[in-house]
Amino acid sequence: MGAVGARSARQLLSSSTVEDLAVFVRHPSRVEARVVALGGSGVVHLEELSTTAFAQALTGANVVVLAAAGPGTPLARASLIAGVPVVSVSDDTGEVRSLLGLHDEAARRGLALAVGAGMAPGLSCLLAAWAAGALDELSEVHVATLGTGGPACARRRHAALREPVEEWRDGAWVRRVASSGRELVWFPGQSGADCYRVNRPDAMLLERAFPTLRSATTRAAASRRDRLTSWLPMLRPPHPEGTVGAVRVEVRGRRAQAAESALVGASGRPALLAGAVAAATAVRAATGRLGTGAGGLASLVPSPGELLAELSQRGVKVMIFEGAGPPPAW
Amino acid sequence: MRGVVSKAGRHGPRADLRLLTRALLAVSLTALVALIVRLRGSGGTPPHRGGWREVSMTDLEPVDNP
Repeated sequence: MGAVGARSARQLLSSSTVEDLAVFVRHPSRVEARVVALGGSGVVHLEELSTTAFAQALTGANVVVLAAAGPGTPLARASLIAGVPVVSVSDDTGEVRSLLGLHDEAARRGLALAVGAGMAPGLSCLLAAWAAGALDELSEVHVATLGTGGPACARRRHAALREPVEEWRDGAWVRRVASSGRELVWFPGQSGADCYRVNRPDAMLLERAFPTLRSATTRAAASRRDRLTSWLPMLRPPHPEGTVGAVRVEVRGRRAQAAESALVGASGRPALLAGAVAAATAVRAATGRLGTGAGGLASLVPSPGELLAELSQRGVKVMIFEGAGPPPAW
Repeated sequence: MRGVVSKAGRHGPRADLRLLTRALLAVSLTALVALIVRLRGSGGTPPHRGGWREVSMTDLEPVDNP
């Protein structure tokens, strides 16, 4: 169980609606202490992940949260077939694309398959949807992030700094070089950090959610060493859990025939932010308060402000930048 | 009468090696400059006014239902 999985489980157990939680891991003996430390009033069952055990647990389950690194599409498909909604925290573009391929299956069964329900994508999509609510027409969304959750998240970011980036530009997908496009980004609660293009699926999910969107970009904070060594194996083991993190979303569009932009964001431990988003989304999926089909949170959450308010109660501070000058050119 | 023997245009192993060395040097220098430009440079300027403010619970609701 990784950092995001543990945070998600802790957040779920803190919800009054969750009574039983089955945690599937590849090596149960390694995470026993972590499971004991989860706390909460619900009952936790720790089991080794296998197709048979997972299929048995689906009987009577209300929702499945996929928080493990690696392919989750077969588990998502099995859950949908069993009539159980799914929430995935994956930020892997290939994995997200594969999960979105289950849209017809989920829609036909009237189930939600929430894709990218972590910090980014996830909180980034929610913030974009909330800020877009103040505009008559949304044309651009630019997402930037700082920090990583657990080791799997750090490895993914390491790979995302070297993989080709698909960017939504002027209504078309354009391939960009990873680690390019430096921008100094001022994150909420943090100092400025240089951010670069990364291969993350935020733009893919946002483009599906907003038909009027003309441009969507995704950047992540990185140092020179990160960029220089991105094509090498990681030089040292990643941290157990990142302590500094933030997400910043800039939306641009029109309101009352005038150009308008807004900057919103949140800061905190990345795994905590991702866990809170995953848990809150899972509770909504279990109680039928999400749209049907596969999509990001901007597509499936009918009232992003309401969910952000709930996240605020879970410790996620939503911030807005006020008094900004003219926006920079992305 | 003395003849002038020009060596210009003469090709041999040494000339080919020199040409190759110069080409490699040029490529290496270009790569080095590109690397420096890529790793350094200015990312922009910090905002001179404004600041982040925490959104209150009441702020979160009305934007969805104006």
